[in-house]
Order: sequence, then structure tokens, then C-alpha cells
Amino acid sequence: MSTPAQVWSYRTLIVNLAQRELKSRYKRSLLGWMWSLINPAVTLGVYTVVFGIFFGAEAPVAGNGESQVFALWLFCGLVMWNLFSGVINTAISSFSGAGGLLTRTYFPPECPMIAGLITVVIQALLEGGILIFFMIVIGNLSFTMLLILPLFALMACFAFGVGLVLGLMNIRYRDVFYLTGIAMQVLFYATPIVYQMSILEPTAQAILRFNPLTSYVGAIRQVAYFLTFPTLGSWFVMITSAAVSLVGGWMIFSRWAPTVIEEL
Amino acid sequence: MSAIVVDGVSKKFRLHTDRAHSLKELVTRRDRNAGVDQFYALDDVSLEIPEGSMYALVGHNGSGKSTLLRCIAGIYRPTTGSVKVQGRISTLLELGAGFHPDLTGRENVYMNATILGMSKKQIDGVFDEIVEFAGIGDFIDSPVKIYSSGMYVRLGFSVAIHVDPEILIIDEVIAVGDQEFQRRCFEHLFELRRRGVTIVVVTHGMDTVQTMCDRAAWLEHGVLLDEGPAPAVASKYLRQVNEHEQEHRALVSERAVAASEAADAAALLAIEEVKVIESIPSELEPAQPEVVLPPKPAEPVVLTGLRFTSAAGKPISSAVVGEPLRIEIDYLASSAVENPVFGIAVHSVSGWHVTGVNTKISHFPVGVIHGAGTVVATMNPLRLNAGEYLISIGITDPQIQHFYVDEFQGWELFVRESGELTAHGIVDLPLTWSLELDSSTPD
Repeated sequence: MSTPAQVWSYRTLIVNLAQRELKSRYKRSLLGWMWSLINPAVTLGVYTVVFGIFFGAEAPVAGNGESQVFALWLFCGLVMWNLFSGVINTAISSFSGAGGLLTRTYFPPECPMIAGLITVVIQALLEGGILIFFMIVIGNLSFTMLLILPLFALMACFAFGVGLVLGLMNIRYRDVFYLTGIAMQVLFYATPIVYQMSILEPTAQAILRFNPLTSYVGAIRQVAYFLTFPTLGSWFVMITSAAVSLVGGWMIFSRWAPTVIEEL
Repeated sequence: MSAIVVDGVSKKFRLHTDRAHSLKELVTRRDRNAGVDQFYALDDVSLEIPEGSMYALVGHNGSGKSTLLRCIAGIYRPTTGSVKVQGRISTLLELGAGFHPDLTGRENVYMNATILGMSKKQIDGVFDEIVEFAGIGDFIDSPVKIYSSGMYVRLGFSVAIHVDPEILIIDEVIAVGDQEFQRRCFEHLFELRRRGVTIVVVTHGMDTVQTMCDRAAWLEHGVLLDEGPAPAVASKYLRQVNEHEQEHRALVSERAVAASEAADAAALLAIEEVKVIESIPSELEPAQPEVVLPPKPAEPVVLTGLRFTSAAGKPISSAVVGEPLRIEIDYLASSAVENPVFGIAVHSVSGWHVTGVNTKISHFPVGVIHGAGTVVATMNPLRLNAGEYLISIGITDPQIQHFYVDEFQGWELFVRESGELTAHGIVDLPLTWSLELDSSTPD
């Protein structure tokens, strides 16, 4: 079982793995790094057109008391969602992708997982930067936006714990990969990202509150759009879910990864 | 001091003959253990590898050598037993394993070296040496996918040996690159040994084992068959391989005889069929009879006897140091064979290859042989010291490519002392002493 201290001693390797991933990702493409911006931009555009224009969904009034930009209100939620789904998908592919290395030389199997996590977090920071940039453009700015960073950290921990377990299971049962794809679709609409909680019936709202992602998405809107603080309740949900997921996922992964590596 | 202690290690693998690959199967299948075969890749293996030694693991493919290496390296966990390792391990299980084709050689060197446990500063220090050793030159800043396979492998090896490990684990990768590169690799391994690095290798090159390694372990089907000084283990292993090969040959020739009888019958049938077909007046091409390959012919030269004789040609039971020894090789050539090469190899019982001679390197013209005859090798005087030796005989084609006869360590030669000890060790080299006085020295 690898302890965090053991993994820490391999930090150079983790950084190198992450660098390798980032460097090789956009090699031989003309637009290169631009792709990491084009993808979220297109998603945002499509959702804005479909939900904001076709369905005529209206955004609530922003923290500065005047702006009412659906695209930005949506973007807050999307940034959080992209971080969540990115971490999980990367965790699944990182573990099977590192198989060639793990069977030939010894290093803690957590290393490629953390390297994958880093690449996704960098992407999230980039998107967060763009979000803040446009908030400045519309004149919706406050120091509460600094809380985006701890929110990202909590989300990354929560998703990483889940991703560790899914990545592990995926080696034995490839179904996990497909199941995750479906679950992500369902979860996306089971989280108030493209719609407001208030449009739902009270029963549906109550059910949605059991989804921890509701708290994360709500919290980032609080700090980046409404420029207020998240409620104590949502802090509690986020911190608890992140801690349980990370510790549990890490323990399960450390316990079983060496056995699973033999099947890679 | 032992760098590595392997204590009663067993490694059980599950052979999934019919594994549930989906969750549905996992849930619906009643007998979950059906179809799961287990086998032991390692079965209660215990050995100690002394610090600073070069240790070889030998055995056939699938004997568990690589599994043992992976257990030592920490990649696999033993099912039972334990492995204790003292020192930093660098593994060389596959060259360039971590290379990413799209990244440049430089980027990959840093990547690979970090996987092997080096810090950036350490890599900076040896980077030029790595490139120099690999002989990559300006290609270091090109993506590795445009490298030739030789360059790829050289760069991988170069990284692995420059990581300054305390224990180096190598799995059959020495046999890469051209002669020149191999020689440099061996030189570097020697250098590492001098620095006190413990080296564990898996290899099929018995020369490597005999000349470079201190100790060796012979694994067969996961069981440790023998462990001890490398030359002795290697020669035992080689002898067993040769016995197997002879059994195999005997079996093949038996089958060949049976096949040739069957073929004769088949050929008869085939000819009759052809005749039948030919007798049909038709525009169609006659069907070709199935081609039956003739059975592999028996070797044109066979060994019919071998004798150790004295100068007078009398058979002797043991030779004497310093006296003449004749080795008479009786052969029978069933057809004319042009310029065959007769060779003799002498091994000590501990496995050292004492000498190997043949008629080709001695420029002895054998000419065309046909029928029975005897080739005599005379050693006068016999330079072997007292002891027991193993004699191998080979008869080959002029290019020493095909062995008509390959009797590896088939005879024992006993050499006894002449009464007066003339030298220690295995051989008594021809040598004279002299004393040259310096005339300028004052008296």
C-alpha cells in the first residue's frame, strides 16, 4: 500500500508524466493549445443557443445587480462539470494507459493517476481564468471569486476518489468505461447546470439535493456569478463528500492496484 | 552481505480460461471459480544474491525467470514468501519502455530517467554522457518515432545504465545492438560491478553466464533446480539442453523413417492417380499429385567412436600431465563430404571452457572424406593439469554452420599428475624463466 509520503518522493516522475501528457496532447495539430479552449467554447455556444434562445431560459440577475447573461451563468456550471467529468475520464484512461510502464518498472501506481489529475486541473484553471475574464468584461467582480480555487480543489478531490475506483475496476471489467459514459450523461442532466433548480417541483428539488454535484455547481455560481458566499450546508456537503471520496478511493486503489497491475 | 534475499517465494497466477469480462457475466454465472485455473509461476524459491555480485537466472522460456525478476523489482507481489532488497533498484525489463513516440529523444530521456528514479539535477549531470553512449548525435532533438530501432534501443539502454543504481535488474536485453554496442555495454556493466553494483540478469547467453557472472540460479517450471557458482550451473544447464536436443533428434529421425515409409506408399498411390487422370482424354490440366517432401536425410557423417590413446596409440584410461595425448575420432561418411571441420572442446568440470580447437582454425586440410576413417588430434605434451575434464566433439560443414555431429561434453577425460607438480590451476602454460642482470648495477 502506497502512502502519500511514498508517492510524494516520486513527485518528479508525476510532474514528468503530466508534462509528457500535455506536450504530446496537441503535437502535430495546427491550432495546438487553442483546442483546449475551442472545446468548451463550442459546448457553451451550443447550450446557450439551445437553452437560452430556443427554450428561452433566463439567467438570474448577477451579483452586480444589473447583468443577466445566460451564457456566463451557464459557463460557471460547465466549468465545474468539466472538471468533474474530466478528472473521472482521465483517471480511467490514465490507469489503463500506464499499464505498459507499470508492468516494466516499479513506481507507485498512484503516480500516473495524479499526473492525469494535474492535466485536468490545469485545464480547469484555464477555463476558470476565462470565466473571470468575462465577468470583468461585464463588470461583475468581487473578491468572492478567489473561492473558486478551494472549490476546484474540493471538486478535484471528490472526482479523483471516484475516478481511482472506476479506473481500477475498468481493468477487470471494461463495462465500467461504457457505464461511466452513460452515467455521466444522466448525471449531467440530474445536476442543475443548464437549468435553474427553481423550475423544478419541490419533490424533484429535494431529490436533486442528494446529488453532491448540486452543491458544487451551486457554490461556484454563488462565488463567481452572484458574488456571495456558499451556504454552510453546501460547504459541509462538499467537504464531507470530497474527504470521504478521496480517502476511500485512495485506500481501495492502494490496496488493489498491485493485484490489478498483474492483469494489465 | 546479501543485497537481495528471496525467501520461499511462490507466485500464483490465475489463468482465466473463461473469465467474466462483463458485469452481467459476473452476476449471472453460478460457479464463479469454474474456468479459473491457477498455476504457480514460482514455487517456493529461495536464494540470496550477494552484494556487488553479478547473478544470472537461467532456464527455458516460461520457467519463471522474468516473474522472479519482477518480484525482486517490486512490480509483482509474491503470493507467499518474501523478498528483501537492500539498495536502490533500477530495472531494465524492456528498453525504452516509457518512450513516447511523439516526444523528442531529449524529452524521453528525462522521462525515462525519472521513471528509473532520478531527479532532474542528476539527469542534467549525466545527460551528455547518455547521448554520447547511445551515439544518437543530433537526433536527440527529433521525435523518437523517426529513430531506427537500433537507435531507439541504444538510447533506452544508455539511460538505464546511467541511472547509477545500487541494484540493476536486466531482463534479456543485453543482446541488442551491433557488436560494437554490445561490447560497450559489457564494458559498462563491468564498470558498474567495479563500483559495487549488484547486477541480476536473465540471459540465454551461456557465454555471458560463464565469463561474467559470479553465481547463477537455474529455474525450471518455477522451481529452483540448481544454484551455485555460475560456470557450474551453466554447464549443467547446457548439458541438459543438449540431452533434450538429442532426444528430440532421435524422435525426429524416427518420425522421418515412419514418414518416408508412408510417403513411399503415398507416392505410389499418387502416381497411379496421375496415370488414371492422364488416361482420361480431356482438355483439363491433369491434377498435380500432392508433393510429398522427402524425409530429412540422415547426416552424411556420423561419429562411430572416440578414444584417448598414448603416443604409441594404446588406449589409456587416464592421461598424464606433460605426456603426449592423442584423441582419436572415428567417423563414417556415408557419402562424399568435402572439407568437413572436426572440432574438440575441453571444459573443466566446474564449467570453464578451457579450450576449443578445430581443423579449420588450425588450417588442417581434411579434404574429401568418404567411408570410415579416423581423425587424430595429438597434444604433445598435454598441458592440462591434473583433474577431470569434459570433452565435446563436433563435426561440421566447411562454414561451421551445420553440425553433422554435436556431442556436447560427451566424454570424461581424467588427467593425473606425473609425480612432480609443475603448475597450479587448470593449465600448464609453456613458459621459461630467465634472469637478466642489469650490468650497470654496482657490485
